[in-house]
Amino acid sequence: MEKTNNAAKSVSWKNVLKKNYTILVIVLMVIIFTILQPNFLSAMNLVNLLSDSAPLMLMAAGMTPILILGSIDLSLGSMCSMANVLILSLMKQFNTSIENPFGCFFLALLITLAVGAVAGTVLGLIHVKLKVPSFIASLAFMSVWDSAALLITSFPVKLPKALKASAAWYKISIGPIGLPLILALAVIVIYHFVMTRTAFGRGIFAIGGNERCARIAGIKVDKYKVIVFAMNGFCAALAAMFLMVKATSSAPTVGESFTLMCISAVVAGGTSLVGGAGSLLKSIMGVFIIIIIKNGMNMVGVNVYWQKVVYGIIILLAVAISVDRTSRSRIVK
Amino acid sequence: MAKENQAALTIQEEFANKIKAENRREKLIKWAPVLVLAALIIVFTAARGTAFFSASNLVAILNQWAIPLLVALGLTFVIMLGSIDLSIDGTVGMAGSIASVLVANTLNSNNLGIFGIIIAILCSVFVGFLIGLIHVKLKIPSFMVSFAFQNICIGIAYISYSGTPATITDPLLKALPKTSFLGIPFITWVALIMLVVCIYIQEFTPFGRHIYAVGTDETIPRSVGINVDVVKIKVFTLAGLLFGIAGVIGLLRLGQGQAGIGKDLMFPAQAAVVIGGTSLAGGKGGVINTIVGTLIMTVLINGLTMMGVNPNIKTGIQGVIILVAVILTVKRGATVISK
Amino acid sequence: MEKKLLFSANNITKSFYGTQALKGVDLEVHEGEVVGLVGENGAGKSTLLKIIIGVQPQTSGEMTMHGKPFMPEDPMAANKAGVGMVFQEQSLIVNLSVGQNIFFGHEKDFKHLGFVNWSKVYEESKRVLEEVNCGYINPRTKVIDLNFATRQMVEIAKVVNMTKSGHDNQKCLILLDEPTSVLNEAEVQNLFTEIRKLTAKGHGVVFVSHHLDEVLEISDRIYVYKDGENAGNMDIKDATEEKLYAAMVGRETTTEYYHLAQQRKPDEEIVLETKDMGLSGVFKHCNIKLHKGEILGICGVVGSGKEEICSVVCGDLKPTSGELHVKGRRVNYSSPSQALQDGILMIPMERHAEGIVRSMTVAENIALSNAPLLSERGIVRKKKIDDQANAWIQKLRIKTTGKDAEMMSLSGGNQQKVVFARALASEADIIILNHPTRGVDVGAKEEIYALTREVVAQGKSVILLGDTMDECIGMSNRVIVMKDGLITGEFQADAGEKPSQVSIVTLMM
Repeated sequence: MEKTNNAAKSVSWKNVLKKNYTILVIVLMVIIFTILQPNFLSAMNLVNLLSDSAPLMLMAAGMTPILILGSIDLSLGSMCSMANVLILSLMKQFNTSIENPFGCFFLALLITLAVGAVAGTVLGLIHVKLKVPSFIASLAFMSVWDSAALLITSFPVKLPKALKASAAWYKISIGPIGLPLILALAVIVIYHFVMTRTAFGRGIFAIGGNERCARIAGIKVDKYKVIVFAMNGFCAALAAMFLMVKATSSAPTVGESFTLMCISAVVAGGTSLVGGAGSLLKSIMGVFIIIIIKNGMNMVGVNVYWQKVVYGIIILLAVAISVDRTSRSRIVK
Repeated sequence: MAKENQAALTIQEEFANKIKAENRREKLIKWAPVLVLAALIIVFTAARGTAFFSASNLVAILNQWAIPLLVALGLTFVIMLGSIDLSIDGTVGMAGSIASVLVANTLNSNNLGIFGIIIAILCSVFVGFLIGLIHVKLKIPSFMVSFAFQNICIGIAYISYSGTPATITDPLLKALPKTSFLGIPFITWVALIMLVVCIYIQEFTPFGRHIYAVGTDETIPRSVGINVDVVKIKVFTLAGLLFGIAGVIGLLRLGQGQAGIGKDLMFPAQAAVVIGGTSLAGGKGGVINTIVGTLIMTVLINGLTMMGVNPNIKTGIQGVIILVAVILTVKRGATVISK
Repeated sequence: MEKKLLFSANNITKSFYGTQALKGVDLEVHEGEVVGLVGENGAGKSTLLKIIIGVQPQTSGEMTMHGKPFMPEDPMAANKAGVGMVFQEQSLIVNLSVGQNIFFGHEKDFKHLGFVNWSKVYEESKRVLEEVNCGYINPRTKVIDLNFATRQMVEIAKVVNMTKSGHDNQKCLILLDEPTSVLNEAEVQNLFTEIRKLTAKGHGVVFVSHHLDEVLEISDRIYVYKDGENAGNMDIKDATEEKLYAAMVGRETTTEYYHLAQQRKPDEEIVLETKDMGLSGVFKHCNIKLHKGEILGICGVVGSGKEEICSVVCGDLKPTSGELHVKGRRVNYSSPSQALQDGILMIPMERHAEGIVRSMTVAENIALSNAPLLSERGIVRKKKIDDQANAWIQKLRIKTTGKDAEMMSLSGGNQQKVVFARALASEADIIILNHPTRGVDVGAKEEIYALTREVVAQGKSVILLGDTMDECIGMSNRVIVMKDGLITGEFQADAGEKPSQVSIVTLMM
């Protein structure tokens, strides 16, 4: 009798651990980095770290539902690069006729977001209607957006002095938490609400869990999938704007490393590649894991190139843990 | 009239017609790459005349062809399995970088000569093996494993020369890219030799036949006792070998080892394999298709450059080519699920 | 007949998850004999073949081959013992040549100096093909360039060769599972010629087909299976189509089982009508009328097109000809979600592949089709989902630990009830039941029947593809029979005046 009780207890402990391992990982990493470099916990670094996480947070917001579908988007980083140079070049363009820097900014932002959403929609349509697997369709789009970014401008561009005012908001903060992070978290929370509390969101989980079943049960599979891809494009464009404002400059290769970081963050947060399960709130923790690693390695003075290696290994580890290996006959390609 | 005819058909005849139409389409798609290549040559010759169709430009094309061919050959076998390898940019750059710091170079006092080259290639082979092993044993989709390794390898490449690329000083290695035999550059010869090896593997070994079978339907080879996992790991390892050789050749051509050697090799390779007629679904195509595919890509890039097209558009065009080739060959229908 | 016994199977049983697929069947094959095997879908033919070839083990019973005990662990072991099978889905690798396929997996035997000696492979293949009298097939041709009949012959040649290698001179047993389903008449005759040549050499053949005329033509002896049991074993001299039909169909079940007392007369109103509908290469000239409050049964073997008709009606597939009218309006669905808006929903046959989402809870699975109905201003109320789930769990007596239980913790019957609950909660009024009792135990079956009666009593209409013919007839107001993509008959099935199974099976096969 006692034995079974013990067993039940240890099982529930395991469950608690399984559900909250991200927090554990974060605490562990903070301890390790603080031991290696006491300055890691300094107020300045924490502010830095938190504001650093905003763009990645937005990208993760777009990517998480895509992984919940069981799909993937490898074009995310390139999409960001393109939107990043687009918004700045548009602002400069508008500045010739509009004086107000905010006017230029909002107009350019509007167009960039629209372009992002349309780009996502096109990718979604090609994936859904022409049945091209998402990894290959997005791979092709990766090269298209890379090209487009380089065509807009092939070298980094600084935000002109006249427009600098429009970027000032990025420095606003409430306590240690900056406005950008608040905005990014707001996007995640709203999207999380949509994913958990609307017919659309429930449909996405059903499609990821069993697409045939979702279709037969009368869920608008194609439409929902395209919307998720469109949202991803929108989020990527928004993140690109954050990157531009943060650096007050744009570069056609700025997004390059973000695809990997974003996928690492989402899977490290606990959303599996298989589809059907996951959560945007979990991705917040995933993003913090990645950002702490990035920031911590910088603080400790680890060669920046090691970071790529580490992200790669994180993806492999996180996926390996989450992948279902129970059925031996399952064919993976 | 046509409608009446249709009405007269029995269901069996309809079914047979469907199969026939599919076969006709298959045949057309089979020959399409060759037609595309011929069309490209004609268009560029018409547009640029002798500048394009000259002996010197043809040798230049052959020269440009070497590395894409090597990379695409490795990728061909992987795609024939129905899997994919996105690690190319990383493994190629890594092999080139590691080789550069092991042979006589400006960065350190290593001078392993040919052994340095072999070690670098072995590193790439090992990465290929790891990709295969992790993909097969942990059941992680190949695109994810190889994508992770692309980044890991780029990292390793940078770390190997820690920021400052090493220029090779070994006289023999410096001379190699300039030598040629029968008018064909040494580098191209290496690619051609590997091409022959790949044709041998595909056509004259049991392993080559097993690749087709695994790509068609894994359960068939399994039922006759073939270890499918081993076949897959072997294929990824072979791809690692070819990527490694491509990396070393890239190093020889550039004279300097950097992670960038592998940059922008993946898209032309994917595009070449797919446009050559090796289907992403697996079990179809092969090395011969890839020869045509890589020639199409090389001629296209060469021609576009001659026409003075903005080089930044080229990557985009490769993406569009991949997309179109996949769209033309992918299986469709309301009940098909693609993820 | 003094022919030597080649293979025997005695009292083979097989149970999956509590349901018995085989309740003890026998099979004997003598040298040089073609044994026909017939029975309805689910009678146990395929299960037995899979046991013989070693794909799955039997639960009990023994087999012998050449007089020795025979218990293959996998198809390779079966091949070694001299048993080969041509599967319904062909197992040739289409982009390899005929010869390479015949010796697939045995290339090492032809290796010389690191090269596979293909010309030797082709020579051998030629010999193998000639042995089954197919010398006209060029072993260098790629399989993709051959028609289905020739492919079938290559497959047979491959299987014969595989089973023979290892012990020459021995006779082998070749199992053919529905080999004629992809062939036209001339090709079938061709296949028969080859089968006869095989048996002339002393090999044994087991021939499984839904086409009774073919079975009667080629077999020396015919076994009839029914519900996993032997239902007859007759010599070809005594066999006629009528006798086979009579043996195949089961006893008719009692009235209570299908709640016949509750069978009501449908309304006059037509809710769904197909006009000359067709799907290229699958079915055509399909004219069906479904009345309000009616259960319409469709009978037919696998491949008769009945499944596809359901798929078209529920919006999963698009018809290539004809019209579909729902509630007096012509419709053109491009997805099941559009059909659901008109109140059409299907309960699919493959429960695991199409019926349930494993990663979701019972409550979420029930709410899958009616999320919009449960939302207020676009926001789904969790409480409504839970209330709905609790109500249905109680009403359908779904055995589960609660609304938040994982789907996989439920038994097959209870999973099916969840799928039912979803259909009923969706407020669809045309429900397509595609094998609703497949893999469900007897108790749950009866509850599902009662539920179906209740559904039509509410004025909803049902199209039923029964898991057995008995079920289809017992439940339906009207039965439509299909064969090879065409409707071959229609029967009124009022309570007390049910058509006989024989009359239906005659039109089916």
